[in-house]
Amino acid sequence: MTTSSIKEGEPDVPAQVFKKFLEALVGAGASVELVARFNKTLLEDRTFTEIALKEAVLGEESVP
Amino acid sequence: MISVESIVIREFRGIRDLTLDFKGKNFAICGPNGTGKSGVVDALEFALTGNVSRLSGEGRGDVSLKQHGPHVARRNDPDKARVTVKVLIHSLSKTVTIERNLKTPAEVNVTPNDPAVLVVLQQVSAHPEIVLSRRELIRYVLATPGKRAEEVQALLHLDQVEKVRGGLQKIANSCDKQLIMLETATTQARENLMRALRIPELTKEKVLTTVNAQRTIIGLQTLTDLTESISIKDGMAASSPAQPQRIPRAQAITDIKAAREAIAEITGGSTTMRVAEVTADLTALGEDPAVVTSVQRETLYATGIELMEVEACPFCDTPWNLEELKKHVQAKIDHLKEVSRKRKAVESKIAPLIATIRKAQAATNILAGYAPLATPPVAIGTFRDFGISCRVSVERLTVILPLAETIAVLANVPIMPQAVLDAIDDLEKAVVVLPEPTKQDAAREWLTVAQERLEVLREAMRKQKVAKEQAEKARQVSNIYATTSDTVLTGIYTAVEKDFEFLYRFVNHSDEDKFKAKLIPSMGKLGFDVDFYGYGFFPPGAYHSEGHQDSMGLCLYLALMRYLQGGAFTFAVLDDVLMSVDASHRREVCALLKKEFPNTQFVMTTHDPIWLRHMKTEKLIDGRAAVQFRNWNVNQGPIRWDDRDVWTEIDDYLKGNDVRAAAGLLRHYLEYTSGELCHRLRAFVEFRGDAQYQLGELLPAAIKRMRDLYKRAKVAADSWNQQDIVKQIADREAKFTVLVDTSNAEQWQVNVAVHYNSWDNLGKPDFEPVVKAFKDLLGGFMCQEDCNEYLRVLPDRETPESVRCECGKTAINLSKKIT
Repeated sequence: MTTSSIKEGEPDVPAQVFKKFLEALVGAGASVELVARFNKTLLEDRTFTEIALKEAVLGEESVP
Repeated sequence: MISVESIVIREFRGIRDLTLDFKGKNFAICGPNGTGKSGVVDALEFALTGNVSRLSGEGRGDVSLKQHGPHVARRNDPDKARVTVKVLIHSLSKTVTIERNLKTPAEVNVTPNDPAVLVVLQQVSAHPEIVLSRRELIRYVLATPGKRAEEVQALLHLDQVEKVRGGLQKIANSCDKQLIMLETATTQARENLMRALRIPELTKEKVLTTVNAQRTIIGLQTLTDLTESISIKDGMAASSPAQPQRIPRAQAITDIKAAREAIAEITGGSTTMRVAEVTADLTALGEDPAVVTSVQRETLYATGIELMEVEACPFCDTPWNLEELKKHVQAKIDHLKEVSRKRKAVESKIAPLIATIRKAQAATNILAGYAPLATPPVAIGTFRDFGISCRVSVERLTVILPLAETIAVLANVPIMPQAVLDAIDDLEKAVVVLPEPTKQDAAREWLTVAQERLEVLREAMRKQKVAKEQAEKARQVSNIYATTSDTVLTGIYTAVEKDFEFLYRFVNHSDEDKFKAKLIPSMGKLGFDVDFYGYGFFPPGAYHSEGHQDSMGLCLYLALMRYLQGGAFTFAVLDDVLMSVDASHRREVCALLKKEFPNTQFVMTTHDPIWLRHMKTEKLIDGRAAVQFRNWNVNQGPIRWDDRDVWTEIDDYLKGNDVRAAAGLLRHYLEYTSGELCHRLRAFVEFRGDAQYQLGELLPAAIKRMRDLYKRAKVAADSWNQQDIVKQIADREAKFTVLVDTSNAEQWQVNVAVHYNSWDNLGKPDFEPVVKAFKDLLGGFMCQEDCNEYLRVLPDRETPESVRCECGKTAINLSKKIT
C-alpha cells in the first residue's frame, strides 16, 4: 500500500486564495494602490463586506 | 493542536452529572439509542466552540442552544448548565481548563488565561467541524453538487472565499448598472444637443460647421476646434438682466416634437405589451405568499447584512457577535437563491421600461424650462409633477417590492396624464404664435441653447467615462479573482481527491484496490463521482452500498480535515458515523485511523457493542478507554455500566425492599458482563446468528473457560518447572471454584425473582446473599491487584498465550515449554 500524497499544513485556505489573487492582480498590471488596498482588506483586516470590497476596488473614487 | 484529557458535564442536554476521563487518548462511548451519547458529543462541541450544531442552523426550527441546551429541569437556569473540559495544548505543552455555561455560551472561562493559550483556543473554536455526525457525513456524499460545494466550502472555511467572490461580482454588476444609467443619460443629452444643433450626426466637423454658421451671423470669429474647454458661444455678449428671457421658437418646436415622440413611445404598443408581460410575472410571484415573503426577506437580509458594522443591535443596544450574526443572515440569503433568480429575470424585463420612462421624463423636463416663458404662461407644475411621478415610478420599478404597489405603478406607465398632454398643447400654441426672431437673435438663442446642452452632454460624458473605467476595473478584478480562486480551489480539490482515494482504498483494499474518484468544481458546485468496479464513474449513491457510502463520507471528511488542519488535526469526534459499515471494513477503519492519524485523538460514539469490541480488539482504543451507557432517564441522565454504580444501585433498591428491581438490574448486568467476559476470555459459546445471547448461555461458558484457563496455566507452569506458580494458580482456581459454587447455589432465586413474579416472597435479607454471591463471582474474573479490571486472554486470535489484565500486574502464562 502506498503512503498518502497529501501535503500537510497550510490550513488557511482563504489566505492562500487571497495571496494568489494579489499576485494575479500584480501580474495583470493593477496599480500598486489597488493591490495595497486589497492586501489590507483581505489579509490584514479580513473584512469581506461589500462596502469594504467596494472601497478596495474603487478606492477614493466615488461613483459619478 | 489539542487533545482532550477529561470532560465534566452538568445539567447539559440530557445529562445531569457526568465525568469522563479520556486521558488524551482515543475514547469510545457506547450505548443503545437514547442513552445520552450524543449529549457528550454536544458537550464537547459546546466546550470547544461555544456552539452545538445540532441546535443551530438549517432545519432546527425554534430550537435554540440557549433555550434548549440546559437539561429540561434546568431550562430556566442556564447558568447551571456547564461543561468543563481539560485539554492539552500540544504546541505549548500546557494543560488548560475550559469552562462554559449556557447562560453566556460565547463567554469562555480559561485557566490559565494567558494570550498564547487563548490564541490556540480561538483556532479550535473556529473549527466546529471537529464533530462529524452521520447526518453530516451523508451530506458530503449524497448531497446535490451545489449543496455539497456549500458543505465542503464550509468545512474548508471557503465561505470567506465565496463571500469575496460574490461581493466582487455584485460590485461589478452594480458598476455595470450604473454605467447603463449614465449611458442612457448621455444618449439623451446627445439627442437633445443634436436636436438643438439640428444635425443628424454628432461629429466635430458637423458641429463646427453648424456652430460657425450661427456665429458668423452675429459677427463672431469662427471656431477652428472644439475641445472640452471651448464654448461655442465664446465672444458672445452675455444677455443683460433687463432683457426678458425668451423662448427660442425653433428649438422649442423641435423639443415639443421630441416630447411627443417620447410620449408616443411610452403609450405605444410595445410598452403596453412589456407592461402586461411584467405585470403577469409579478402577479405570478405575488400569488405565492412564500415567494413574496422570501423576496421581502431577501431584501431585508441583504440590506441588513450590509449595515451590520457595529457590535450591538442599533435598536436595543444588545451586544451581538457580529461574525456569528452575519454568518446566520448570510445562510438565510443563500437559501433564497431561487427567489433571487426570479427577481433578476423580472428586473431584466423592467429595465427597458425604466429607460422609456426616463426618456419621457427628460423630454418633458426640457419643456418645463419653456413653460413659464410662454404667453399666457403654461403651468410649469404640470411638467414638474410628471417629472416627479416618473422618478417615483423608476424608484418603485427598481426596488420591485411591495409587489402590489409595483403592479399599480406599472399599470400607469403607458397612461400619459391628460394635464401633461394639455400643457404640451398649450405650450405649442404659445410657441407657434411667437414672432420670428431676427436672424441675429435667432443665432444668439441657438448658440445659447446649444452651449447649455453641450455642457450637459460634456458632464454626462465625463460621468460616463469615469463609470466606464470603474466598471471595467471592477469587472477585471472580479474576473481575476474568480479565475484565481478557481485555480486554487481546483488544486485543493485535486489534493483532497487523491487523499480521499488513498484513504478509501485503505479501508476497501480487499475489493476496491483500484478505486478512483473525481471531485469536479464548477461554477460554485462540486461534482463527486466515484468509480464502480471499473464500470465507470457514477454518483456515490448510484451503485455503492450504504456501508460503502458511509466509509466514503468518513474518508472524504478525513481527507478534507487533513488538508484543512494538516498537523493540527489532533482531535475529532465521530458521532455514530459507521453504522452501515460491516465488521471487516470496520477493522480496516480502525487500522486506518491508527496508522494514518496516529496523532489525532478520536472520540467515537456507537450504539453497537460489537463495534466497540472491534475498536478494542484492533487496539484503536485501549481496554479502559470506553464508557458504556446502559440506560437513561430524565432525572438521572445516562446510566453507565459501571461496577460501583450498579452495585450501589442494587443496594439502593434493596434498601427500599424493591427486590424485583434489584433482581432485574442484577440479571441485566450479569448478561452484559458475561458477554464481555466471554469476549475477553475467548470463551466457547454456541454461535447465534442473531447475536441474542442469554445469561444461561454466556455466564456458564465464561466460568468454564476460566476454569480451563487455570488448568492450562498450571500445565504450562509445570512444564517450566515453576511449582510456586502452579500453587498460586491452584489457589486462585480454588477460590474461584468457591465463588462459582456459592453463586450457583443461589442462582435460582434470581430467576424466580425475575421470571416468576415471586419477588413478594423475597425480602431484602433473602436477596442480599444473591447479590453478594454474584458480585464476588464477577470479582473472581478480575485482576486481584488494584486495577479491578476483568482479565483477558492474549492474543485475541490464534493460540492463547497468556491471561492478563490492563494494569499488567496479572500475567498468567499459558504456553508450555517446548521439549
